[in-house]
Amino acid sequence: MPELSYREAVRDALATAMRQDDNVFIMGEDIAEMGGSMGVTSGMLEEFGRERVRNTPISEMALAGTAIGAAMQGMRPVAEIMYEDFMTLAAEQVVNQAAKLRYMSGGQLSVPVVFRTQGGAGWSPGAQHAQQLEAWFVHIPGLKVVFASTPEDVRGLLWSAIYDDNPVVFFEHRTLYGIKGNVPEKIEPIPIGKARIHREGEDVTVIATGRLVHESLAAAEEAEKEGVSVEVVDPRTLQPLDEETLVASVKKTNRAVVAHEAVTRMGFGAEVASVLQYQAFDWLDAPIERVGAKFSPLPFAPVMEQFVVPHADDVLAAIMRTVGRGD
Amino acid sequence: MATEVKLPRLGQGMESGTIVRWLKSEGEQVAKGEPLYELDTDKVTQEVEAEASGVLLKIEIPEGEVEVGRTIAFIGKEGETVAAVEAPAPKPKEAAAESAPEPKEEQRVSEPTTNGRIKASPLARRLARERGIDLSSIQGTGPDGRIVAQDVETPAPAAPRAAVPVTQARSAEVTSTPLTNIRKTIARRLTEAWTVPVFTLTVSADMTRATELVARRRELEPDVRVTVTDLLTRVCAQALARHPEMNVQYTEDALLSFPNANVGIAVAAPQGLVVPVVHNAEQLTLTQIAQVRGDLVARARDSKLRAEDIDGGTFTISNLGMFEVDQFVAVLNPPQASILAVGATREQVVPRDGEFFVVPLMTMTLTCDHRAVDGATGAEFLKSIKAFLEFPGLAL
Amino acid sequence: MAKVETKTSLAKGDLRDVLREMLLIRRFEEKVEERFRAGELPGFLHVAIGQEACAVGVCRALEDGDIIASTHRAHGHTLAKGTHPNELMAELYGKTEGCSHGYGGSMHLYDIERGNMGANAVIGGGLPHITGAALAFQMRGEPRVALAFFGDGATNIGTFHESLNLAQLWKVPAVFVLEDNKWAESTPESQHSPIRDLSDRAKAFGMKALKADGQDVEAVYKTARQALEYARAGKGPVFVHLDCVRLHGHYIGDPQVYRDKDEARKLAETRDPITLLRAKLELSDEDFDELDTEVTEIVEASVEFAKNGTDPAPEDALKNIYA
Repeated sequence: MPELSYREAVRDALATAMRQDDNVFIMGEDIAEMGGSMGVTSGMLEEFGRERVRNTPISEMALAGTAIGAAMQGMRPVAEIMYEDFMTLAAEQVVNQAAKLRYMSGGQLSVPVVFRTQGGAGWSPGAQHAQQLEAWFVHIPGLKVVFASTPEDVRGLLWSAIYDDNPVVFFEHRTLYGIKGNVPEKIEPIPIGKARIHREGEDVTVIATGRLVHESLAAAEEAEKEGVSVEVVDPRTLQPLDEETLVASVKKTNRAVVAHEAVTRMGFGAEVASVLQYQAFDWLDAPIERVGAKFSPLPFAPVMEQFVVPHADDVLAAIMRTVGRGD
Repeated sequence: MATEVKLPRLGQGMESGTIVRWLKSEGEQVAKGEPLYELDTDKVTQEVEAEASGVLLKIEIPEGEVEVGRTIAFIGKEGETVAAVEAPAPKPKEAAAESAPEPKEEQRVSEPTTNGRIKASPLARRLARERGIDLSSIQGTGPDGRIVAQDVETPAPAAPRAAVPVTQARSAEVTSTPLTNIRKTIARRLTEAWTVPVFTLTVSADMTRATELVARRRELEPDVRVTVTDLLTRVCAQALARHPEMNVQYTEDALLSFPNANVGIAVAAPQGLVVPVVHNAEQLTLTQIAQVRGDLVARARDSKLRAEDIDGGTFTISNLGMFEVDQFVAVLNPPQASILAVGATREQVVPRDGEFFVVPLMTMTLTCDHRAVDGATGAEFLKSIKAFLEFPGLAL
Repeated sequence: MAKVETKTSLAKGDLRDVLREMLLIRRFEEKVEERFRAGELPGFLHVAIGQEACAVGVCRALEDGDIIASTHRAHGHTLAKGTHPNELMAELYGKTEGCSHGYGGSMHLYDIERGNMGANAVIGGGLPHITGAALAFQMRGEPRVALAFFGDGATNIGTFHESLNLAQLWKVPAVFVLEDNKWAESTPESQHSPIRDLSDRAKAFGMKALKADGQDVEAVYKTARQALEYARAGKGPVFVHLDCVRLHGHYIGDPQVYRDKDEARKLAETRDPITLLRAKLELSDEDFDELDTEVTEIVEASVEFAKNGTDPAPEDALKNIYA
């Protein structure tokens, strides 16, 4: 099986789609010669030319809106919003327009656009370049939201997002771009809306997204040494959520921890916890734990950044609390 | 809802403190921030402030050493009711339930509660509900004394909680019968059995030849009324002889192996379920088994069984076929490693080699203690039983 | 409505047809106001009374395959682009027979088949969609043009600047039509823009800008034709600045406390596009009344149609969210 980095996996999905489908093109800031601020689109200008690798001015509203307009006419554009924080600028078009055009027209049109963006803390990007805002977008009917955490998943899911006829907000995590993983020889589309069980266990289910998938796997290893068997599940698609898989897992283990890098309070994890509480009420042997960032903007100084953002030991502590062995 | 006042951790490494005296009395108004009691830690004696305003409803612990986190008092609104707090271990100066302002309705004794509500996880509640276990009879080992699933499945043997006097019926319809010792024993043993990790295996046997055999035996020896149960006893004894790894008992340190098949037969006696044992059944003929069994059952029905009649069993057969039960799962008879539940023999249509036959089938379910016996072992054993029933010649 | 042959200007014979079209829009909007006041129409409604020449003049200039995006004041554009009054009225009444099947209402009128990419309740919301549509046409080599309507208020919002900037940068076949009625709801232009000539905004992007009197339907048509030809030829987007008049309030029921009543009356007398065209055609009263009766009947029929329409089932609310 070939090995690709997460970054290469994203590029592979984009390039493969563009090679076989003229309707697919990419647009974003600095994606041409520079190959994107995260190097994702590196080499694509050379292969596909300026027509299909469109460098835009710093205009997130036009970026998003133009992609929407082209999608309404049958193209399949993939718009890159350089930092997740700048989704705030694009949000009017994503939320008021893309999410609702099909609905308001009574089903007359569809908007097959993908908004790719990346976020996350690490190496002191500062408060305005590190947010994890998935909770905002999962809250908007009409949008699909994906957050893959491995090269195989990001490639297969981006492919599915491109070919989904709905607007998809596709989150990537900046610290994952360099991780390597095995991928199938040919792109295998991964269905949107299906979770992935990374590790099976008996005592507690950890539901994690993005970077926290890897932190949770590390925590699970440690927990194993303490005699606690941990199941780690990545929902991969945040909207629609694979409730069936998550609930089945918690019914098996009777305990749950939800872990994400985004701020815990009012976050995506709160919705997951609520779903689990409702559907697995009589199976719960402990309150559902949530692991996430503390309620603060991201500080600059590394020691403070470390403090705010969750890590494997936070997941481990939560795991141990669910089995009654924590503080 | 009343605020629980718990002993705070006032310093790193502080595990407990000694309440010297209360600065406020029960019924007195307390303001948040006001000194509430004096506490002696190993470093210093200090005043501890109230964390809430209200009326000091109840002082759980008037003085003495208390671990950090223990509830020592309740602050709330005037007239609010507060339940007695369960003491995890006997302490010399425990709060007496009587000193609390007595609420109007009956109070249960000793529960991990706040205001009469038992703290138990949803899973624990469901398990208790399913097994008919009263939550108030369980001690919780979870955080804050919460009852968790484990507490329901393996209740702590120590801490003898006062037998909760079930609210006696006041209406005329409900009658309450105190438990006999036998019922208590059954309950205790079977609850214990329930905590064992078991698995069950089910098989159906063609009883054509077995039924013929029993009928012929009755013809030949009319005084000894051989029954299917007798045949089963013989068959199981032979099977145990052939599969000695089934004739075992689990203990914490070792697996005990028995040389003889002492087969118990579950009997519904007037006083309750009893299991008299046919000892060394592998050495007895079918006729002998029938005779022993006949005697045991007669004495069971007259409540005349002796200790040696019910001791030493290594395996149990429970036959509910005469009650038209098709199939059931029996609860283990501890400390035995397995028990066979037998249902009625019924004619069923069975396909064989592309044709349909009407076959008298009897369904049996083997419950095994997974600590002592594995699936494959149980399956082999059950397979032998089936084979012996279908071809009794093999076992006689 | 039949599309006239595409020419650079309107023939005299067509003008009677054009008047009829404008009059239809006028009577439709008056009826909408009347029905709204009678309490029959839910939601917010913004009528385009006074701006009929802009809608008809521009839409007549479009060719098959061209698309438009409109604003919150969309009834005129929608009718001019070919949606039948029945479907429009039904939509205002929230019926399934409506062009958006009851899902959109007055500010979300869509008729994709007829090239109407929708009204938009967010000021400037549709502008980038026009840049995007034009981009798609360009990338696919299609001889189609994407055209946006917007008001003077919209020239201040982010999407306006970003969309026009990008359209000009990439030279996409788009036309941006400013219906400058000098009012952004209750705010006069002098209070929302520091410059007096909004065409300068287009020039700031290096975009070709054309101007016309928005109350003169012929002038509007001619200018629109010019702009569309330019864009269609791949020369880049065009900004069309139409000077027009909003004769009524911002929304139905707006008492226009902020507007000088005398000035408004004077505008109604001198700048009504229908009156102006009627005079130009020297139509007799009988002729005009004949047209009026004709369109009034159509409008009344549309109300009947709408009132007899089908209410959506409540559960229909959960359909059409995802493709």
